[in-house]
Amino acid sequence: MADAPGLMEPAEEIAYETRCAEGAIWTGTRLLIGVIAMAFAGVGFAYFYLRSVNSEGLWRPHGQTAPLLLGTEIAGAALVGAILQSYGLFRLRRGLDLDWSVATWATAGAGVLGCGLQIWELTRLGFQPGQSGYASLFVAWGPLSAALLLVGAYWSETLAARALRMKSAVAGDGGLSASQLPRARLFRASAEGAAYFWWFITTVSVLFWLLFYIV
Amino acid sequence: MAISATASAGLGQTGGPAPGAASPARGSRLNVGTAFAGAVLGYLFGHWLGNAIVSGDLYEVAFNTSTNNVAIFLALLFGVVGWLAGIGALNYPIAKIMGKEAPAEIPEEGWARFLKFTLDHKVVGIQYVVGVLMFFFTGGLIAMAIRTELLNPTSHIFGPNIYIQLVSEHGSIMMMMATSIVVGPLGNFLVPLMIGSRRMAFPRVEALSFWVFISGLMVILTAFPLGGFQTGWTGYAPLQEQSSGGMDSYLMGFGVIGTGMILAGFNMAVSIITYRAPGMRWSRLPIFAWSMLGTAGLLTLATPVLFAGVYMGALDRTAQTALFVNAHGGSSFLWENLFWFFGHPEVYIMALPGFGIAAELLPVFTRKPLFAYRVGAAGMIGVGLLSFFVWQHHLFQSGINPDMRPMFMLTTELISIPTGFIYLVGMGTLWRAKIRLELPMLFVLALYFNFLFGGITGVYLSDVPINVQVHGSFFVMAHFHYTIMGGLVFAFFGGLYYWLPRMTGSMMNETLGRIHFWMMFIFFNLTFFPLFIVGLLGMPRRVFEYAPRLQTLNDISSISSYLLGFSFVVFTINLVWTQFISPKPAPPNPWNSKGLEWTMPTPLPFHNFSRIPVILSDPYRYGEPDALPVADFGEIAAATSSTHEGLAGAQPTSSGTEEV
Ligand SMILES: [Cu+2]
Repeated sequence: MADAPGLMEPAEEIAYETRCAEGAIWTGTRLLIGVIAMAFAGVGFAYFYLRSVNSEGLWRPHGQTAPLLLGTEIAGAALVGAILQSYGLFRLRRGLDLDWSVATWATAGAGVLGCGLQIWELTRLGFQPGQSGYASLFVAWGPLSAALLLVGAYWSETLAARALRMKSAVAGDGGLSASQLPRARLFRASAEGAAYFWWFITTVSVLFWLLFYIV
Repeated sequence: MAISATASAGLGQTGGPAPGAASPARGSRLNVGTAFAGAVLGYLFGHWLGNAIVSGDLYEVAFNTSTNNVAIFLALLFGVVGWLAGIGALNYPIAKIMGKEAPAEIPEEGWARFLKFTLDHKVVGIQYVVGVLMFFFTGGLIAMAIRTELLNPTSHIFGPNIYIQLVSEHGSIMMMMATSIVVGPLGNFLVPLMIGSRRMAFPRVEALSFWVFISGLMVILTAFPLGGFQTGWTGYAPLQEQSSGGMDSYLMGFGVIGTGMILAGFNMAVSIITYRAPGMRWSRLPIFAWSMLGTAGLLTLATPVLFAGVYMGALDRTAQTALFVNAHGGSSFLWENLFWFFGHPEVYIMALPGFGIAAELLPVFTRKPLFAYRVGAAGMIGVGLLSFFVWQHHLFQSGINPDMRPMFMLTTELISIPTGFIYLVGMGTLWRAKIRLELPMLFVLALYFNFLFGGITGVYLSDVPINVQVHGSFFVMAHFHYTIMGGLVFAFFGGLYYWLPRMTGSMMNETLGRIHFWMMFIFFNLTFFPLFIVGLLGMPRRVFEYAPRLQTLNDISSISSYLLGFSFVVFTINLVWTQFISPKPAPPNPWNSKGLEWTMPTPLPFHNFSRIPVILSDPYRYGEPDALPVADFGEIAAATSSTHEGLAGAQPTSSGTEEV
C-alpha cells in the first residue's frame, strides 16, 4: 500500500481513536445484549404462543416441570456471577486489582458451573422432548441457556487472563485500575461491559426460570 | 499495520503491539484452500459423529425416513466450523483464552490477500463483491432453469419434484444474496471512508461475517444431493417437518447466513455510531451511511428471531422435539410467526440499501443538494422501526384471528408513509435538475421507475380483500421481484459502476456498461411485468404446470429472462476485462463528487486517512459557491485552532454529547 509502513499518529489522534474504541466496546456490549435478547424473545414468544394455542391440549399435560432444584441452582449461578463481576468492578474502581481478578475468575467459574448444570439437567428430565409443547420448548431453551452462560464465562475468563498478561506492562503506570495506556483503558471498558452483560444473563435466566419452573 | 514509537496498532490496541500478542497475521498460510480442507474434514467428522450417536438403540431416526438428520446436521455444522478454522477465523478467539491481545495487522500486498482472513475493510469489501456475485449468478442460473420449465404448460423438462427444488433453491440463494449485496461489498468498503475513519470497529467480526456468508452458499447447495427441499424459501411447517434431507441444509443454511448477517450488521452499526470523525454530526452523515445504519439495526435485531426459528426447526428434525408439530402440543404457525417476524424486516434489509445508494448518487448527477435530507434519514429509521410491527400480513389467509387483520393492514399501509418520504426525497432532488445521464445515474433512475410498480403493488397486497384474491400467485412473485431486483439489484449495479473506480482504481467500460444497463432494464421489465398479469389471471407460485391460455405471457417472460441473464454476461465480460485483464486507470474523482470517500489518493492508503479529517459539512453542497469544503485534512494544530470542532476537544460521538 502506498503509505505503508509509516503512519505517525500524533498523541491527539491516538487519544481520539482510543475514545472511539472505548465507545465501540460500550455500544457493542449494548447491541450484543440486544441481539441475544431478540433470540431469547423468539423463545419467549414461542412459550406464550404454544401455551395459548394449547394444540390438542398438549401444552403441558399433568403440569410437567423440569427438576426445580437444578433449575434454581442454574439461575443462582447466573446471579452469583453477576454479583461477583459487579463487585469486582467496584473494587477495580477503587484500585484493588487483585480483588477484581479473584472475583472475575470466580465469575468465570460460576458460568462454567451453570453451563455444566444446565447440560446435566437436560439428561435428567422426567419427560421426552416430543411429549408436549412445554417439553419441546424446554429442550430447545436448555442449550441456549447453557450457551449464554458459557459466553459470559468466556468473557470473564478472557478478561482475567488478559489482566494477568498485562500486569507488568501497566505496573509502572498505576496498575490495571489507573493506567492511562490505551490497552488498559480498553481493558477497563471491557470489564465494565462484562459486568453489565452478566446482569443481562441473570435477567434472562431468572425470567425463564419463572416461566419454566414457577408459573 | 505500521508500527512506530507512537503508531497505532489500529485494532483497538493503540499504543503498539502488546507483549504476548498472538503472532501477527502476516505469513499466515491459511487461505481459502486450507478452509476447504477444513470444511471437508469437519464434514466427514460430523457425519461420522452423527452416525455414531444414532446407531444402536439410543436414538430413533425422526419421522421414519431412511435419512439420518442428525448426521446431516452435524456434518454441516462441523463443516462450517472446519471452514472457519481452516481460514484462521478461530485463531484469535482461542488465543484470547490464554489472555493474548490482538496482533497488529501488517498490510499485505498482492492477490493472495483476497483469499485470506483479512482485517482490512477494503479487502473485505472486494471479497464481498466476488462473494455476492457468486450467489447472484448461481441463483440466476437456477432462475433461468425455472423459466425453462415454464416455457410450456404441459410438456416438462424437470417435472414437479425437481422444479420445486429449483424454485426453493433459487429463492433461498437470492434471499441470502440480497441480505448482503450492499452491506457486504459497498457498506464494508465505503462506510469507513465516508465517516472519516481508518478502520471498522470490529474488523475480525467483519472478516468473520464474510467467511460465514460464503459458507452459507455451500451449505444451501448441499440440499440438491440430499433430495432438495420442497417448501420454497419460506420453509413452512408442517412441510418443513416432512421434507427430505435437503431441508436440513435449508435450516442450517439460514442459520449460518443469519449468523453472518448479525455479525455484519453488528460491526456496521457500532462503527457508524462510534467511529465517526470529529465534526461528523448525525446531520452531516452521508445518506448512504444512514441507510447502512438502518439496515444494520434490522440485521442485528430481526435476524436473531430467524435464528431461533431455524434452531427450533433443526431440533424438531433431530432431537425429536415437537415445536412445530400440532399433534404433540406444538404449532406449525409458530414457525410462520417466527419466520415472518424476521421476514418482514428482511424486506427492508433489502430495500433501504438500494435507496441509500440512489439518494447518495442523485446529488452527484443532478448537481443539486439532496432534497429534504433529514426527511430521508428519518424515513429510513421510521421504516426500520415500523417493519417490526407488520409481519402478520403474511398470515392474512392462514391461522390468524380474522379480527387481527385490520390492525396489520393498517400498520402495513402506515409503512408506505416513510417509504414514500424516501421516494419523494429522490423525486424532489430530480425536480428541475440538469440531470447528467451517466451510467450509474441510469441505474438510479431505473430504480425509481421499477420501485413505483413494486411499491404500489405492495400497497395493494397489504389490503386484505385484494390479498385474499392474489396471495400465493405470481402477482406476489412479480411484486417482490420488482422491489428486490428492480430496486436493490439495480441500485447495487449502479453503485458498483459508480464506486468501482474508487475501490480498484479502474474504470468500467462505458459502452459495455450501457449495453448491460439497457438490456437489464428492458428485459427485467419484460420478464416480470407479464407475471403481474398471469398472477391476476390466477397462476399460482411454485407450481410447474399452468393453464394453457397463459402460455404466451409465460413465454414472453421466459425468453426475456434469458436475455436478462445475457446482460450479466456483458457485465461480467466488462468486469473481467476492465478490472483484471486491461485495467484503465480512473481519474481521481471521475464523477466530480463532493463525497469524502473521493478525497483520498488512489490506490487507497492502508490507513485511509493520513490525518483524521475534521468534517465541516455534509457532502451535498452542489451549486453552493460559498459552501465549506466537506472536511479539513490539515494538521491537527491547524484544525484545532481554525474550527471549534477540532480533534483534541471533540468527544467521540458515542458519548451522546454531540447534537443530532
Ligand atoms: Cu411483509
